[in-house]
Amino acid sequence: MANIPFSRKFSIRQKINIALTIEAAIILGISIFIFFTFRVLLSKIHFIEVFDDINISFLEMRKAEKNFFLYHDISALSEAYTKGEKANYTLEHNREGLINVLGRNTYLSIMASLDRYLSALQKIKKDPANPVYETHVRDLGHELTQMCVHLIRREHHKINRIIQRSALMLILSFLGIFISQLLMWNYFSSFLSRKLSKMESLTSMIARGQFREVAEKRTEPEDEVGMVINAITRMAQELEKREEQVLQAKKLASLGVLISGVAHELGNPLNNISMIAEGYLSYYDSLSDEERKNFMQEVQVQGERIKKIVRNLLDFARQKKPEFKVSSPTEVVEKSISLVENQLKVSKIRLHRSYEEDIPPIYVDENQIQQVLINLFTNAIHAMSTGGDLFVDVYSSSDRGKVYIKIKDTGTGINPDLLPHIFDPFFTTKGTKGTGLGLSVSYGIIREHNGKISVETEVNKGTTFTIELPAWKGEKEETHA
Amino acid sequence: MPKSIIVIDDEEVVCKMTKMILEKEGYEVETYTDSTQALARIKEKRFDLVITDLKMEEVDGMEILRTVNKLYPDTELIMITAYATLDTALEALRERVFDFFPKPIKIEELKESVKKALGT
Repeated sequence: MANIPFSRKFSIRQKINIALTIEAAIILGISIFIFFTFRVLLSKIHFIEVFDDINISFLEMRKAEKNFFLYHDISALSEAYTKGEKANYTLEHNREGLINVLGRNTYLSIMASLDRYLSALQKIKKDPANPVYETHVRDLGHELTQMCVHLIRREHHKINRIIQRSALMLILSFLGIFISQLLMWNYFSSFLSRKLSKMESLTSMIARGQFREVAEKRTEPEDEVGMVINAITRMAQELEKREEQVLQAKKLASLGVLISGVAHELGNPLNNISMIAEGYLSYYDSLSDEERKNFMQEVQVQGERIKKIVRNLLDFARQKKPEFKVSSPTEVVEKSISLVENQLKVSKIRLHRSYEEDIPPIYVDENQIQQVLINLFTNAIHAMSTGGDLFVDVYSSSDRGKVYIKIKDTGTGINPDLLPHIFDPFFTTKGTKGTGLGLSVSYGIIREHNGKISVETEVNKGTTFTIELPAWKGEKEETHA
Repeated sequence: MPKSIIVIDDEEVVCKMTKMILEKEGYEVETYTDSTQALARIKEKRFDLVITDLKMEEVDGMEILRTVNKLYPDTELIMITAYATLDTALEALRERVFDFFPKPIKIEELKESVKKALGT
């Protein structure tokens, strides 16, 4: 559309001003047109008045001429001559105006005809008995009156045409103004509603907490709405900063939870080691070699427990930037499945894969995503200790902007009261078998990938975890520092 | 006839160690890491002393104390816990607990306490 560069350059106020100026110009044009039409009409009417006078003079002139030929009254002849003179005077007097309306040629030919008529009258006056002149004068007189009537008719006709044409013109211009108003109104309303809907989508994105996405939408403002949109993106930027601060505060708060969790988690194996050591020392003499070995093996087992907790803790507290690269979602899923396949077999769990064809790639740290997936698989296996079905679906959103990995089990489900806590650090339903860090670490990883993890569950029916990750939109770049 | 003791703790090491220590002292000792099984066992057999951890999965230590009190008012009770707080201590005392051990359990203290509880 032609008005796209137009809309890039001007603000809304300027656009309205331009539209109003154009309309004012149209109205001014119409007024000028009406003014000139009226002037033409006035001059035509004036011409008709003048010609009416002339016509009357001609008619009187011819009446006197007729009287002369009927009654041979010489005074009638001079009356005819006077009337002719009068017509001649009127013609001379309105010379400029008449030339304007009739054109020079017509004017001159009338003048010439009148002149010929008058000189014919003069000749008759000198020789009234000569019948040669009678027909000549009659013909000339007839020609003059005919000419006059014809011109009046012609001008009447012209006036009618001008009036008709200007009436049509007026109707068309008002129709034009009306239509341009409608178009303008339509343009501005659709323009504004387009801009407003953009604003609406931005504000609802803010409501959903997608501050970063909104902040990235910042552009050079084209108009007032653009300025408002920029204000919104600035607000989103600020909100994102604030959210980070709140997140930081929450992290600090969870640090307390973390520390008490660590204390509890490490407490048990440490207590055990301490007790084993005391027993070993107290009963050293009475212990057989085999028993002493058992004691030390027990210490080793407890040491492994501590190691596992610390390793999970490190994963949780990991400051290291993830190493992102373009990966195939199904490959990552398959790699993770291969690591839990044995567990699935042992637990008599049937695996059902469903992968969408031609899934877009994702830009992720493969190890971290695998960690998340293995964690979810392990949870599912634990929830189905008596066997069941595990469904793994990989699919993308209709615009191919997002990739989803859905892991559905037919296990015990999660108690709705516990649901709000499942992503908290050290929250576990597995007693000493779990560290309570798995889901909390997973949550952190997915968040770092600008993704989302959500859960649906029904007690004794099963649980579904859905991971949403942004699809890789860039060039076929393989790795990234 | 040796005195009978049941030890309930979900830490296997605690069970093994207490069993070894108390058997060397001449007691008859049964241990359980699963508190549900332990509770079932208590319901079918009377023990002279019950030593239980407080925080356990499934059946809580406090519930075991209450059951023992109801079934065998003359059975002695000793409680162990890794997370000793004033509240749990008070609640335990209300349940007629003879002694209260924070983890890690000191072997000498345990032997001492058991001896006192059973009057041997």
